Amino acid sequence: MVLRAMGKRSNRSESDRSAIETVSRRQYLASGAAVGAATALGGCVGGSGGGSGLTVGFALPFSGTYAMLGESIVNGFDMYLEQNDGEINGEEVETVERDTEADTNRGVSVTRELLVEEQADAIVGPVSSAVAMAMMDTIKNESSAIWLNANAGDYRVTEQGCLNYHFRTSFNDWQTSAPLAEWVYNNVADNVCLAYADYAFGQNSKNFFSEAFEEAGGEVVGEVGAPLGTDDYSSYLTEIENSGADAVFSFFAGSDAVNYVTAFTDYGLNEEMTQTGSGFLLSEDTLPAQGEAAMGMYSLLHYTPTREAERNQQFVSAYTDAYDSSANVYACQGYDSAQAFAAAVEEAGGSDPDEMANALSGMELESPRGKFRFDPETHEPIQDLHVREVVESDGEVPVENKVVNTIEQVESPSWGCSLN
Amino acid sequence: MVETIVRTALLGIQYGMTLALIATGLTLIFGMLDVINFAHGALYMLGAYFGWVVASTLGSFWLALLLAPLFVGVVGVAIEVLSLRPLYDRNPLYHILLTFGFAIMIQGAVVELWGGQTKQIAEPASLAGTLTIGSFDYPMYRLFVLVVSTLLIGVIWLAVERSDLGILMRASAHDSEMVDALGIDVSKVFTGVFVFGAVLAGFAGVLLGVSRSVNPGMGFGIIIEAFVIVVIGGLGSFRGAIYTALLIGLVSSFGALVASTLTEIFLFVLMAGVLMVRPNGLFGATEAT
Repeated sequence: MVLRAMGKRSNRSESDRSAIETVSRRQYLASGAAVGAATALGGCVGGSGGGSGLTVGFALPFSGTYAMLGESIVNGFDMYLEQNDGEINGEEVETVERDTEADTNRGVSVTRELLVEEQADAIVGPVSSAVAMAMMDTIKNESSAIWLNANAGDYRVTEQGCLNYHFRTSFNDWQTSAPLAEWVYNNVADNVCLAYADYAFGQNSKNFFSEAFEEAGGEVVGEVGAPLGTDDYSSYLTEIENSGADAVFSFFAGSDAVNYVTAFTDYGLNEEMTQTGSGFLLSEDTLPAQGEAAMGMYSLLHYTPTREAERNQQFVSAYTDAYDSSANVYACQGYDSAQAFAAAVEEAGGSDPDEMANALSGMELESPRGKFRFDPETHEPIQDLHVREVVESDGEVPVENKVVNTIEQVESPSWGCSLN
Repeated sequence: MVETIVRTALLGIQYGMTLALIATGLTLIFGMLDVINFAHGALYMLGAYFGWVVASTLGSFWLALLLAPLFVGVVGVAIEVLSLRPLYDRNPLYHILLTFGFAIMIQGAVVELWGGQTKQIAEPASLAGTLTIGSFDYPMYRLFVLVVSTLLIGVIWLAVERSDLGILMRASAHDSEMVDALGIDVSKVFTGVFVFGAVLAGFAGVLLGVSRSVNPGMGFGIIIEAFVIVVIGGLGSFRGAIYTALLIGLVSSFGALVASTLTEIFLFVLMAGVLMVRPNGLFGATEAT
């Protein structure tokens, strides 16, 4: 498009094109040289592992749309380390951060860097499921570290990867959608319309919900997918309204969730149907912007900062003191990754990856989210899921989530994975 | 059925007008300056953030709508005078690299200053609520956006086509040497057009920052759509951009009704189709501006 633009206006299309080629070739060479130099340097000064000390590699996005998520995960992890004087099992812990930029190629190369040059004993990350799918082979081939998956929820990491080193310290997309179906059927409506962001995670979530909802006896009367990053949901909402459903199950996250929920209430749909969804629809990162528009909506997630439990309150206040920002689900996942790593090293008596993996399999952890354990078959978390309602708050943000129901110790399907 | 069609058409026009608001600045700058302004989306985003800051500190949406575009205009002056002006005679690739660099810098600065978290500008109380049309609730604020953007684009249209200023602008674009020879400082006209485009982008940012989320990525999303519009309409054609924005608004809204997941594809199919039949775009080449 841009090339065409230049060719059209300037009558210099030939020279333009050659100029572009030169630049891109030169840039390519330059970047190649830079990478080469970095690799060489890394080879000299890297290699902190082996013998004393433990190394944790963060393969997370620190720039772009997901930067806030990556930062929260690191904060959570660091907080655990600080609470334990930076040591696990008497050994000092060094952390290395690498930016995946939420890009699959970049994700693979930073993973290799962390494993080979930094000799990481554990990889924490990524945020994006696409990156996780791309990282699988590298982790498997190197077989030198355990993989604490602190956010990427795509069930296919278990279905296709089924790695002994992989432990989901977060959630999977089945858990944040399917268990809500029965609750919606029993408490909200017997028919729903599905609305989702049209990419892998959104599609998985609506499929899982729809399956479970029909199994519970409900009927799915409509389905509306919108491209990822849609700004204006007006006409999609017409379609949702036309379905005539009494409730809607939605999967949107981040700024999409803000745009969607705001428009939903602007057009008065909240008076006609009950909004329910996966927890990312109504989370700590979106609620300040959604504000009053989110009132009375329901969502399902494994962690809620406002949940009343001593363990959670301690975590939330310690986090606020340390980072001057409020705790969120990503911080909890980072914190639990640190807990899992500590437990693995202590139980295995060292950082041998196979011994750590065997130690973690089936292990139970006391988390701010409540206690959870790793399923020995799949290493998916078996955990409580909270149904939350958005209510008025007396805090800084006008609204907050309130846990209205807890679905206890939810096990996920095994998707053909059998590690035990 | 009829009601659904009328309603979808209304929503499509509303969406089209918001797109027109953004595409206008882009096409004016290209038409006059021959510069592809990749930073246009970033200026739109900056407008939304300035608007959010003013609205949340001073508590007034109206002040935000007035002040934020002016701040963005100041940024526009800096970009044009300090960096773009020396590059006008160069290969357009320089313009692209430069403005793309500004887009990345502005986004980085916004993340640094206000974080990556999504925000929203508070709706003015006087425009809360909905207007009922038939059995359809139309939010007052969105109606306001529709009216304001339509009026604004109408005024710009008249100014470009009919006023002396418009003639001067078109003349400068057509033959800047001759205009210079007639005793008019063309560089001032260029600065004016660039800054006007920036102010317009900032204004759109505040206006849309109420019904949409304000986040650092919002500029990159919108610039793609705006480019598609400018290309289909005919590069640099003002009229073409407006008609195309409306066309795309309607295609998106009816598309959402027919096959919601394919709306994005419709957009590019439309572009490919138009360019195959009319390689210069709908209004390209035949028009001076």
